[in-house]
Amino acid sequence: MSTITHVAGRPPRRLALAAPILEPLTTLARRRFRLTARTPRELLVPLLTPILFALVIAPALHEALHTDASYEAFVALGTVGLLIPLNTMFAGLGVIVDRETGAQRELLAAPIRRALLVLGNLVVAFAVTALQVVVLIGAAIARGIDFNASGTGVLWFVAAGALFTVGMYGAAEVLAGRVPKQEEYIARVPAIAIVPWFLAGSLFPITAMPAALTWIAKLLPLTHALAVMRYGLLGDRAGLDHIWGMGNATAMAALSTAVLAAFGLVLTAVSVRAFTRRALR
Amino acid sequence: MIETRQLRKVYPGGKEAVAGLDLEVRPGEVFGLIGPNGAGKSTTIGMLTMTVAPTSGTARVAGFDVAREPLAARRASSVVFQEPVVDRSLTGRQNLEVHAELWGVARPEARRRIDEIVRAFALSGLVERAVGGYSGGERRRLEIARALVSEPRVLFLDEPTVGLDPLIRAELLDLIAGLRARSEVTIFLTTHYLEEAERLCDRIAIMHAGRVVALDRPSTLLAGLGEELVELRADGDPAGALAALRAHEVAGDDAFAVGSTLTVPLHDRSPGDAIALIRDLGLGGAVGTRRPTLDDVYMRLTGAGLAEAA
Repeated sequence: MSTITHVAGRPPRRLALAAPILEPLTTLARRRFRLTARTPRELLVPLLTPILFALVIAPALHEALHTDASYEAFVALGTVGLLIPLNTMFAGLGVIVDRETGAQRELLAAPIRRALLVLGNLVVAFAVTALQVVVLIGAAIARGIDFNASGTGVLWFVAAGALFTVGMYGAAEVLAGRVPKQEEYIARVPAIAIVPWFLAGSLFPITAMPAALTWIAKLLPLTHALAVMRYGLLGDRAGLDHIWGMGNATAMAALSTAVLAAFGLVLTAVSVRAFTRRALR
Repeated sequence: MIETRQLRKVYPGGKEAVAGLDLEVRPGEVFGLIGPNGAGKSTTIGMLTMTVAPTSGTARVAGFDVAREPLAARRASSVVFQEPVVDRSLTGRQNLEVHAELWGVARPEARRRIDEIVRAFALSGLVERAVGGYSGGERRRLEIARALVSEPRVLFLDEPTVGLDPLIRAELLDLIAGLRARSEVTIFLTTHYLEEAERLCDRIAIMHAGRVVALDRPSTLLAGLGEELVELRADGDPAGALAALRAHEVAGDDAFAVGSTLTVPLHDRSPGDAIALIRDLGLGGAVGTRRPTLDDVYMRLTGAGLAEAA
């Protein structure tokens, strides 16, 4: 075998410290992206259901129920609350596939921090979800649905969406670690991704439900995510009022964002810990 | 280069897969761990590559404690697992590139090494295709090539030829034998094919039920059984037949019976005299002589053949 030629010169200290994390993270994310989205179809097909909701069902409901125009925008953002959980939960299938095909063992034998195996998947799930949300919002705008967003409002929307995505992917990793087979995993997705959607104020305000369900809805991260997203893109504070009942909308948005931040942080930490413990037999 | 002290693994449920393993593998050595399925070989490799968490004990790979310096130990080693562990949707080249990047090989150097290894392993016509279309032998060649991209100091091969047809096995054994001619990599190999161990290994350890029951050079282990042995199929009670042979000083303490087959190392005794006495005693039907194999070494130590135990 040939000897290795060492590259002369040393990188700046910050870059040198970050290299053991950034470089393998990039490699893992690139690998996951190649496995997940080999064709444009694989990126766009998951958009069909939410786009159907936003562009067909929401206007139809607006027409049938004689609601005002803002209901279409209300439901369009509600479908973002369906897209994120579905996308992240199905991204978790990749973990099971890695385990079933044996690829996970090769990755575990690699000289990298094992948390990066989870974070590499998260990066791709986040990027793909973000792309799909942008396409969905773009399609809604093209359809004529009106969003009344300022720069600050967009930031609220992005923060809520991003944190909710991170938390949902953590949930996906935890579930993938506990469930041995793809079929069992898929069977559990509706309970985690779809049932909460019906309770979280996606199609109607949470106060329209019985009191007990309204209380349950307040505990769901999706409820907080939708409330902040609507506050951000529509200037609609009603969702936040239904959760917190405070006078200051910004404070309520900050509280709900903090809930989402905790959701994202805790689920990511739990998923990393669970993966590290379960992957090692 | 590899050192274990009382390395032990007990799986949930109480199954002790590896019981207090003490091993030392020297730099540049090809070391074989042989035993049937369930002996603890893959678990041992798992603990040395840190994909299986040890229950107790210590292990060092390339001078690094696997528990305290896991990243350094993993960086100095590579492993080819028993099961296929390639990304089938990716091409061969992409699989090689992922390994190189994860092991910290700089891009220009990785490209050079991959091109060299692709040529050396006759993968040029395959490497741009998705691995899902490879045959078993081609996939195995790719996995071994991948493990070498990072130029490891220690290479773990877990049953590298299992499930492959004889022709492919022979090619892979040539490949593995060629590795030590070209580099100073230390190879730790597990197998239940004895001819592989005899052919490739400087030393072998025989593992049975989680314990090492013998460890030495193959020639030394075989020399313990002498140049020739007699094998007969006892008509009646094998234990009684063995006792009779011992009483007539044909068989020594190293003679053994597995089922109704008696194996008697002759050492200095004449084969002709031994066979004549066996016939006089009316102990068996078919009687013959042959050279000892590692299977005989294994059976003497454990009471079962490797093929039977598998």
